Amino acid sequence: MILSSSEAAAMAPEMAIMVGILFAILVPNLGDAKARIPLTSFKFPILWGGTRFEITSDPRAPGIISTVSLAVACILSLYAIESSDGKAISGVMEITGFGRFMSMVFTAALAITAAASIYRIPSTKITVDDAKDADERTTLSLMDNRRQVDLHILLMMVALGMSLMALSTNLFFLIVCLELASMASYVLVGFHKESRIGGEAGAKYFIVGSIASATGIYGMSLLYLWAGSLDFASLSASWAAMDTLDPLAGIGVGLMLVAFGFKVSAAPFHLAAPDAYSGTNAPIAGMLATASKAMGFVAMMRVLVGFAAPNEAVTAWAPALGVLAIITMTWGNLAALSSENPKRMLAYSSVAHAGYMLAALAALGSGLADSNTQDLLQMAIVFHLSVLVLFKMGAFLVLTLLEIEGTGKSISDMNGLARRDPIVASSMFVFMLSLAGIPPLSGFLSKFLMINGLVTTTTDTGAVTATNAMSWLQSVDPYFLLALAIVLNSALSLFYYLRIGLLMFFEEPITDSPLPKAPLLKVAILVSMVLTVLFGLGPASEWLLSLVETAISTF
Amino acid sequence: MSFTGPLSIITLVPLLSGLILLVLPNVLPNDVSMRMKASVRNVAIGLSSAIFLLTTLIFIGTIGQIDWLSIGMGDYVLETEDPVWLIESIGVTWHLGTDALSFPMIWLTTLLIPISMLVQWDAEDGHSFHSLLLIMEGALIGVFVSLDLFVFYIFWELTLVPMFFLIMIWGGEDRKYASMKFFIYTFTASVLMLVGILVMYFNTVADPNYAGTLTGHHFNLVLMTEQSRVDGLITSEGLRHFVWLLLLIGFATKMPSVPVHTWLPDAHVQAPTAGSMLLAGVMLKMGAYGFLRIAVAMFPESTLTFVPLLVFLGMASLVYGAVVCLGQTNLKRMVAYSSVSHMGLIFLGIATMQPLGFAGALFMMFAHGIISPLLFAVAGSFKHHYHTLEIGSMRGIAHHSPFLAGHMMLGWMGSLGLPLLAGFVAEVAIMIAFWMTFGWWVLLPALTLIFTALYYLTSMQKMIFESDDPHTGKLPDTMHDEEPRDVTWHENAGMFVLGALTILFGILPFIFWDMMSAWSTEFIQTYLVHAMNMLEASP
Repeated sequence: MILSSSEAAAMAPEMAIMVGILFAILVPNLGDAKARIPLTSFKFPILWGGTRFEITSDPRAPGIISTVSLAVACILSLYAIESSDGKAISGVMEITGFGRFMSMVFTAALAITAAASIYRIPSTKITVDDAKDADERTTLSLMDNRRQVDLHILLMMVALGMSLMALSTNLFFLIVCLELASMASYVLVGFHKESRIGGEAGAKYFIVGSIASATGIYGMSLLYLWAGSLDFASLSASWAAMDTLDPLAGIGVGLMLVAFGFKVSAAPFHLAAPDAYSGTNAPIAGMLATASKAMGFVAMMRVLVGFAAPNEAVTAWAPALGVLAIITMTWGNLAALSSENPKRMLAYSSVAHAGYMLAALAALGSGLADSNTQDLLQMAIVFHLSVLVLFKMGAFLVLTLLEIEGTGKSISDMNGLARRDPIVASSMFVFMLSLAGIPPLSGFLSKFLMINGLVTTTTDTGAVTATNAMSWLQSVDPYFLLALAIVLNSALSLFYYLRIGLLMFFEEPITDSPLPKAPLLKVAILVSMVLTVLFGLGPASEWLLSLVETAISTF
Repeated sequence: MSFTGPLSIITLVPLLSGLILLVLPNVLPNDVSMRMKASVRNVAIGLSSAIFLLTTLIFIGTIGQIDWLSIGMGDYVLETEDPVWLIESIGVTWHLGTDALSFPMIWLTTLLIPISMLVQWDAEDGHSFHSLLLIMEGALIGVFVSLDLFVFYIFWELTLVPMFFLIMIWGGEDRKYASMKFFIYTFTASVLMLVGILVMYFNTVADPNYAGTLTGHHFNLVLMTEQSRVDGLITSEGLRHFVWLLLLIGFATKMPSVPVHTWLPDAHVQAPTAGSMLLAGVMLKMGAYGFLRIAVAMFPESTLTFVPLLVFLGMASLVYGAVVCLGQTNLKRMVAYSSVSHMGLIFLGIATMQPLGFAGALFMMFAHGIISPLLFAVAGSFKHHYHTLEIGSMRGIAHHSPFLAGHMMLGWMGSLGLPLLAGFVAEVAIMIAFWMTFGWWVLLPALTLIFTALYYLTSMQKMIFESDDPHTGKLPDTMHDEEPRDVTWHENAGMFVLGALTILFGILPFIFWDMMSAWSTEFIQTYLVHAMNMLEASP
């Protein structure tokens, strides 16, 4: 695939990621190797191999490379949101504001993950001094930042897959990109292969994930049989032309929902998620809860809203999604109540959040929303996905700090965090409140937008003639109940979010030692906290909302 | 006038300075922060007193030259004029204003904050305690001054966070349970209210100045009230009732009314003294305020339809609160249930749909806001000095703590409605209005007041007077043979101010009564009479 220069410029964020991958492969191999020109004694440096330089063998080098390249990609995407003009590339991609907005969200989440991983994945425990002989010494000196390289290349591949996925206009290409990101994330989940729990998490996540993907691909092939093309444009045209639901199309979309349902960890496809989150390290779990979930939702929106949007004859999937939404949020919250592992708790809370967004998606599919309201609902979902990167990821960053010191396996490890580090503990509390949806935090604004979308969609369906509250409730479209389900679930979720606060501020700390030194990580936590507050109300939230609005207008 | 008007100042200054005072000692170097921690309480009480002074100046007309008596329902003073956008796309503005409904509450808040600081002047970790109280002040005032429902809701929920910490960190034995219950209980109720607010929002018509660019609706409370008066905000009667009920759940839980009152005794018993004072003094009134401002003002017809429900809730709270009080042995728990009982009276006052009843309810909000903090201050210093809250555990306070005994007596008398004390005015007004509307049914609430007198007098007799030994009284075991001493100077000063105000507003109620009465008359005439005619016209 050869790109013209203007096309390459349009894909600058992806280019930045690819440059990052190349650097991550090359840089750790640079050394002082010299080659001798034959027949002379003249040597010139070829830089490839030999004893590596201090800087290239530094275990932090790959992390810095990936953080920088992902951050650059994030900023490039941000600047491209307004200027993207829908340029089509190779017939499978389109550079839209929406795609660019999503790649900004993905790369932001992954840049934070990469930065946190610098601290979380220490250089290999075996040092050069442990080597038995000269051979092993060489091997070990080569090894000492190889693990970091692997991890960060995988992270960048996840980012690449995700941002390409957001641009795709072809179902096949979408699945390929999704798989690129998924495959890399399977490895990332099982990255701690030495620990039993790490291997188990990776295997479980991989098996369930690949079955879900296979199901989705089967659904895609059915859709191909039905429409004869996998272009969104032609799929959309065929869908709109249906008078009654074609079983082939219905089953195809339904099977694809299974694949995406796994990605967003919607019940009942969420069963691997808690194990995966608790088995992997906190930054990767944070990535699963934010970037990976966002990817699932974008894919879902591409399929459900992009071409299978309800036409007059067919509103096939909305009721199913509505029921799924209620089950997902309730299941997630109930399971989170009894979780003793903070990562498990956050995993279930992430399931619950998937439920809230599914509710908004169900309202989109109900066919009741006019185009303004549809935009509003989509905005609510996308806004939620983007601010989730701040507070969900922030919570996982705090857990990363605990993991670095070797705790964080049990919820009681949060005990007395406020006395050990008041700033981190307060930030964690802000993240928890934001997850619960307490105003004026950004978690409230996004939940508010979703409930507002639901109310706007359904209120008018109630009978005007109803003379008492009960008869009105009976006459209103059942989708209205989704709004009530969301608010009641928010209240339920407070139990476990507040519990963290209680533990942090109330219990005696398990140890008096200060939290590990990780300046970059603490800065990231602080910045996430400040942004969580700022995006809730005032000019910053207005800016982000208008950005989301621009993105949605090009969906 | 945007963020610099007097109302913005009294909202934002305490909020921001409280946050700064809370955070600064944690980030500054150790020696600076030690010095700062010591002076935080001085800064906090100085600031809150200055704000109290500012509010008083607004009240007596020095700032703004406001003629309070001419302000009826629907007029707002010190109102923000041009829309100051907070989130333009969904129509959220920084819109403040006050009237006779909210101003007494604002004044009360600014008064209670310095007093509660004074009462707990030497709280442990005072630097966080006093700055949390400042944050609390900003959030509480924010609830009363916002004329934008979104911002109102934000402040409404924001009050939970400092109170949660106040209970959780400085509370009694069972604080963990109490703070969780408090937060979750009231949050659940208010998210249901949020759904109601959103339905109202969806039904607003696009206004050229205030509508959100994206949604075409607005949260402007003034415009919403106007729309509901002229056209009716929601067409479907069933939906109107449904929204009204959702709002009622939110507000009744905050008030609290039976059967959603159960968070209150736990929160009160466990909260530190200053927390209890604010909780009883102002936070409960948020419920009544919101109910009048939103539910009654926008859905007068639904309110009229549900008058029997209101009477039932009011009566149930009144009777249940009083009866439970009789059986209490815990001082704070008794005072907490007496609050439930008095909040029932507010519902009864609203249910009368008479100007007098409304004014009585408003004055009850105000009077209870002065008397109940006094009661909790008494209970707090009792706990502080005798290390127990058991009513029967000690006798004869009058002998060894004459000041405490005096304050206790004044508070108890004020709460049971002794003439010439603030509570009496409100109770009489509500009773008369109740008689005007419901006739001889007034005997029910009136006779319940006997219970109130009964439990107050019994507890007073047990604690203050009965004594085995006329010289020392009986001391509880928890004293461990310490010498009993009287209240400390700062507790005494705080209770003294509250006691003096109880007497002042009992003798000169018209200071606030007149504006409340003018406002209520306007409310009934413009909003409710129209609705009554509508109801009578329909079969």
